[in-house]
Amino acid sequence: MASTDRRHLLSSKTHSSEFPLKMRIITRDCCRHRVRLSAKMERRNSTSPSSMTTSVTALMALMSLEHQLAPTGNSTARMLDICQSCYILLGSMMESAADCCDGSDEYDGKTKCPNTCWEAGKAARDKLRKKIATYQEGVIIRRQEIERAKLAIVKEEGELSKLKDEEKILKGLVEKLKERKEQIEKAEEKERQQKEKEEKERREAEEAEKEKETKSDDIEPMKDDIHIGPVDEPPQDPVEHHEKSINEPELRDHSVEDRLSDKGVEGVNEDPLQNAEQLGEASPVDAKAGVDNGDQVENKAEDTESLSREELGRLVASRWTGEKTEQPKEDIDASPSKDHTNPGETPDGTNYEDDNGYDTEDDEHAYDDDVDDSESKVDDFGGEDHYDSSSSIKPESDDESDLLDMTGTSSSSWLKKIQKTVKSIFEAVNLFQTPVNISDAAHVRKEYDESSAKLSKMQSRISKLTKKLKQDFGPEKEFYSFYGQCFESKENKYVYKVCPFEKATQEEGYSTTRLGSWEKFEDSYRTMQFLNGDKCWNGPDRSLKVKLRCGLKNEITDVDEPSRCEYVALLSTPALCLDSKLKELQDKLDALNKEQPRGHDEL
Amino acid sequence: MGKPLCTVLFLLLFVNCCFSWKKDEFRNCNQTPFCKRARSRKPGACSLIATDVSVSDGDLVAKLISKENNQENSENQGKPIKPLVIRISAYQDGVMRVKIDEDQSLGPRKKRFEVPDVIVPEFLEKKLWLQRLKEEKNEDGSGILSFVYLSDGFEGVIRHDPFEVFVRESGKKGKKVLSLNSNGLFDFEQLRDKKEENEDWEERFRSHTDTRPYGPQSISFDVSFYDADFVYGIPEHATSLALKPTKGPGVEDSEPYRLFNLDVFEYIHDSPFGLYGTVPFMISHGKSRGSSGFFWLNAAEMQIDVLGPGWNDEFSSVLMLPSDQKRVDTLWMSEAGVVDAFFFVGPGPKDVVKQYTSVTGAPALPQLFAIAYHQCRWNYRDEEDVFSVDAKFDEHDIPYDVLWLDIEHTDGKRYFTWDKMLFPNPQEMQMKLAAKGRHMVTIVDPHIKRDDSYFIHKEASQKGYYVKDATGKDFDGWCWPGSSSYLDMVNPEIRSWWADKFSYDNYVGSTPSLYIWNDMNEPSVFNGPEVSMPRDALHYGNVEHRELHNAYGYYFHMATADGLVKRGDGKDRPFVLSRAFFPGSQRYGAVWTGDNSAEWDHLRVSVPMILTLGLTGISFSGADVGGFFGNPDTELLVRWYQLGAYYPFFRAHAHHDTKRREPWLFGERNTEVIKEAIHVRYMLLPYFYTLFREANASGVPVARPLWMEFPADEKTFNNDEAFMVGNSLLVQGIYTQRAKHVSVYLPGDQSWYDMKTGTAYKGGATHKLEVSDDSIPAFQRAGTIIPRKDRFRRSSTQMENDPYTLVIALNSSKAAEGELYVDDGKSFQFQKGAYIHRRFTFSNGKLTSSNLAPATAALSKFTSDCTVERIILLGLSPEPKTASVEPGNEKVDIELGPLVLREGKGQSVLTIRKPNVRISDDWTIKVL
Repeated sequence: MASTDRRHLLSSKTHSSEFPLKMRIITRDCCRHRVRLSAKMERRNSTSPSSMTTSVTALMALMSLEHQLAPTGNSTARMLDICQSCYILLGSMMESAADCCDGSDEYDGKTKCPNTCWEAGKAARDKLRKKIATYQEGVIIRRQEIERAKLAIVKEEGELSKLKDEEKILKGLVEKLKERKEQIEKAEEKERQQKEKEEKERREAEEAEKEKETKSDDIEPMKDDIHIGPVDEPPQDPVEHHEKSINEPELRDHSVEDRLSDKGVEGVNEDPLQNAEQLGEASPVDAKAGVDNGDQVENKAEDTESLSREELGRLVASRWTGEKTEQPKEDIDASPSKDHTNPGETPDGTNYEDDNGYDTEDDEHAYDDDVDDSESKVDDFGGEDHYDSSSSIKPESDDESDLLDMTGTSSSSWLKKIQKTVKSIFEAVNLFQTPVNISDAAHVRKEYDESSAKLSKMQSRISKLTKKLKQDFGPEKEFYSFYGQCFESKENKYVYKVCPFEKATQEEGYSTTRLGSWEKFEDSYRTMQFLNGDKCWNGPDRSLKVKLRCGLKNEITDVDEPSRCEYVALLSTPALCLDSKLKELQDKLDALNKEQPRGHDEL
Repeated sequence: MGKPLCTVLFLLLFVNCCFSWKKDEFRNCNQTPFCKRARSRKPGACSLIATDVSVSDGDLVAKLISKENNQENSENQGKPIKPLVIRISAYQDGVMRVKIDEDQSLGPRKKRFEVPDVIVPEFLEKKLWLQRLKEEKNEDGSGILSFVYLSDGFEGVIRHDPFEVFVRESGKKGKKVLSLNSNGLFDFEQLRDKKEENEDWEERFRSHTDTRPYGPQSISFDVSFYDADFVYGIPEHATSLALKPTKGPGVEDSEPYRLFNLDVFEYIHDSPFGLYGTVPFMISHGKSRGSSGFFWLNAAEMQIDVLGPGWNDEFSSVLMLPSDQKRVDTLWMSEAGVVDAFFFVGPGPKDVVKQYTSVTGAPALPQLFAIAYHQCRWNYRDEEDVFSVDAKFDEHDIPYDVLWLDIEHTDGKRYFTWDKMLFPNPQEMQMKLAAKGRHMVTIVDPHIKRDDSYFIHKEASQKGYYVKDATGKDFDGWCWPGSSSYLDMVNPEIRSWWADKFSYDNYVGSTPSLYIWNDMNEPSVFNGPEVSMPRDALHYGNVEHRELHNAYGYYFHMATADGLVKRGDGKDRPFVLSRAFFPGSQRYGAVWTGDNSAEWDHLRVSVPMILTLGLTGISFSGADVGGFFGNPDTELLVRWYQLGAYYPFFRAHAHHDTKRREPWLFGERNTEVIKEAIHVRYMLLPYFYTLFREANASGVPVARPLWMEFPADEKTFNNDEAFMVGNSLLVQGIYTQRAKHVSVYLPGDQSWYDMKTGTAYKGGATHKLEVSDDSIPAFQRAGTIIPRKDRFRRSSTQMENDPYTLVIALNSSKAAEGELYVDDGKSFQFQKGAYIHRRFTFSNGKLTSSNLAPATAALSKFTSDCTVERIILLGLSPEPKTASVEPGNEKVDIELGPLVLREGKGQSVLTIRKPNVRISDDWTIKVL
């Protein structure tokens, strides 16, 4: 549009004489975060011009402020909550023709847009002040954090190098012990073989004699088998099987019901008979599937003819919902029929229960196995880095204390002790003495077992520390304290658990869905990315983006799923309370306060 | 439902499973006994002759009996054949009605079903009382013809032996227009008493058994359209506009076009397979004569063959068909019901549509907001989601009028309830949107959750309002809520009860800004045969479901729309979107083309689907913008918005497994382009609204095939990639990825002006145009005037008092004309004359606004202070400098201005600025 046209348009009177409003826009540059606008108004009645202009200016300031503070759409949206009408109208005003900030020229009298601009400006300043206060406090916490982190890292690095040294020594010892142990065992084995040989020869001689005596007795034991078989053992087995096959599916079915009632297709028939019916259908399906030419897996799944009416209904519904109604859900084999019919379709299904562990560090699991999976695995044993955040989870360490005694200050003493013991062993035990002295052998074995157990703990500690220290804790190590922590947020029936540097999950009752494994920080350390979570049906792998913002506590809020299986959450943390940002905010407030009085004048 | 809970297990079982159309779950013709039988009949097999031809009660009546000497040909051999009764009546404006049924005086087993509440009462009043019957000997020796006057220039004729009914141009040598049973395929299976066990009495399809207590009762016959090049209509199919032959030489083993309302999961884009709705109305068009139409009012499953030329060559000697006329033969087959057929003589395409809608009713005039942009998704999860989407539209300065809530907003799919967790304050939510002039829509489906604590179910089961199964118990099927029953909407009492449920008291949480969406009303029954209701289910009046299946959704739609009228005390026009439809659905609201897919092919097929709906009366229709299933790539989505902006019903919708796709999620540039597409729709709202009123008054659809506007231009006859919006605007979609060029055929002998640039293109030629991503080609036809409102607001309701822009595209004789219709946009007062209807005429350098509303004193008045702020003149030279406005003789400048605001590019065009004339006044502007 030619500029002349625009000016013409903009400066022209509105068509309606009831609203003689004149506006002139000098510049518009709103895409670049700043809008300078001058509005000149002639109003015979309605809103006073001064408040109009003021509010426009205030709004402009607010806009530029919000744009610079947070480029994300989120904050802009928040701003809109306060100042909806003004913003829109500005947009429209700049584009087309006359329009005013208080919505009064949107002629339909029934849809009055409240004039909230003035309040909005005030509210925005108050909000800014609050934000600044948060930052001021947060900045201090952050500094303390960073100090602590640096200390801890130094300490851990020291520990690591020390551990590595000790590991070398211990490894040598263990090897020696192993050698000795093996020697002893060899000797023992030799002894044993000797004995066995003798025994064998003796037995063979005996048997040879026996054989000669009773050659015709072969059939006897077989008869016994026949006799015993049907009477005793077989009846037991079927009963057991039977019980299983009844109990198990029942349990399964109930769990299915529970789940289903939360889902798209509701109103599960509570009649247990119906369930029994479905179960009864399981085997026909099975048989059918066998007959099915099965050119496609889905064809089998869609073999609807043998389904009960309810199953058919669920199946068809599931096409739209993408929900598996009668299908097993993760750990529980919900539907016997499906499960039996299409084992091929559930390649991952079988080991789902182990899922939670499959990608976590195996070496750690060597002794972590007894830790419940729903608990987070926490490697940080220092404990001093913890916030008082109620949502974070304290480390759960059983073996850690064990390790502590060897990583503590007395570490060298225990090492020396072992060295000494080993030495004494070598001195005391005569290698080639046969038969082997039993107590000596036991002693060696015990020493070996203990030392190698210690070694493996030490190694796992080393690998943990190595792994930890390899992590990207941010430019100032401000995220160090996140390591080994999990932040929880409860939204309706779900509990979201975000464990930085590890994984994120969504839990509902006893079922856990992985939203992703730790990937990295993004967006200059303002976002944490978790990728490759559980796969979505007909969709992507789940993923989670955690946006970070300044706050006094580590707190997960606003977990959302804007697109299916793509989650976002907000984590407020002091780690994001940057000095530079604080300064920016303060400048902003100053600017806003300065601009305030000028708003009454024309620019 | 968006939460992931369920998805894990699902993936385990269907990891690589991509769903697709489940062809096997639906019957083909060979699996449908009546279709198989009818399709295998030989031309000339019908042995019926007309006897006792007379005039009775103003109708021509006759008996159809089997001809004795023809017995050996009869397929009815061995079955008792009772005479049938045929009744032919004539109605004003060229409509002939033919009814054929069993003779009630002979006491058939039961009365066959005739679809009630479809024909509008006004039509019946147009009946011509036939006085006398003329007879003549047919020239070709085929016997006696009896004929009656039908309308000026047309006669209705019955040939006695063999029996044939047709319409011809008046006179002994008058050309045939359309005929029934010219190929002798007529068959009528009469109701029988049960005798033996065979396929006639019971039939199995997959796991479902269909009992047939009356035996087979199908009807089939052939219909011929003369001087026709193509036939169109009979929705709903995802296929081309001009119907391809389904049988005949060179046609590969195709299914007939099936008319059976079904909830088809992931339908495919080019198939004669039946979808969600049915209109058994076919319209023919040919260069030499024009158009004619045939409508069979029948709600049972129907299958229709379009027979390719030469299909009956081997029987030509028996048939005695005129060889000098081009002809399209068709075969119509229905499972049950009676023959209640309507012949429309045309001769223009618009005439046929008018004649058809005189029978089934003209499309309702929607509220203005309803023809603006709708934002939908399965599902907007909660109030917060709603507010955030609403706010984003404002933030991005994109207008929208309606936000939709799908099934998840309810408490466990109990319609009329709200999920208290997600929508704790529904009224407040609606009011918040209403404060900006926006509306909301919630879904209400016909399946009722069988839950004794659910008030609808409790009442319905107590009152016996559900459809019964074959044993007489409440039918129990499976749908979203699980075990469900279905209201028997064919019963007016139940419809009235249902309508009351929409009162503000009954529908807790509803407000006046809330409107309704009827889905799943085919009806969809997840565990029923073909995902629908068993055919032996029983309705009010002991009607079998097979007899009225296709009309079920129609009655539901009707009851819901009535509910909204009742709710608003008869003062507020209802808005109800329905997926299933039937003849007459146009009176109750909009329909959409169901669960399409995010594929280019589906974008492409949306145009013939919508045009077909328009041809068959259902003007207010659209396809889900973006495609329901799957994730459209950005380019497809953008193109869909650009095309969808010209759909009569413009709504974006998405499946809940898809990624979010609100207009601002695809980067700044794409947001801008989508916004522009939506703005085009808002700009054209005055034009669209005028067209909706035209449809309401005449039945002529908003979106029209090119041949409706250019009936003599053969090149347009099977063009279904471009279409007309009204008579002034031609729109060409872009249906391929990364298109650099597009060929657009611009019909007629007048020029066309590019809507964005004002560039003129010659008519009657195909133009290869460069395409860019910012818009799809759209052209204003020379000789037309389009009214617009160019100011952009948040919603259509905010534009009420905005001034108008008139775009005048002059033809070669420097003339143009157009119309503008305006009313309050919401009430029924327009029916009492409360509207402004202007005609703008430009000729001899003068633009005149004159009144089109009847001069008689209206019972109610509508006024508007709106003015015209810009008048754009395309094709005027030499360029005038000033204009004078009468009355007042005020001078205004003519200067150069933009054709479309916001469009940076494009040449400047002659613009008369601020003539400040009111649209309600008479005035003249003279260009000096």
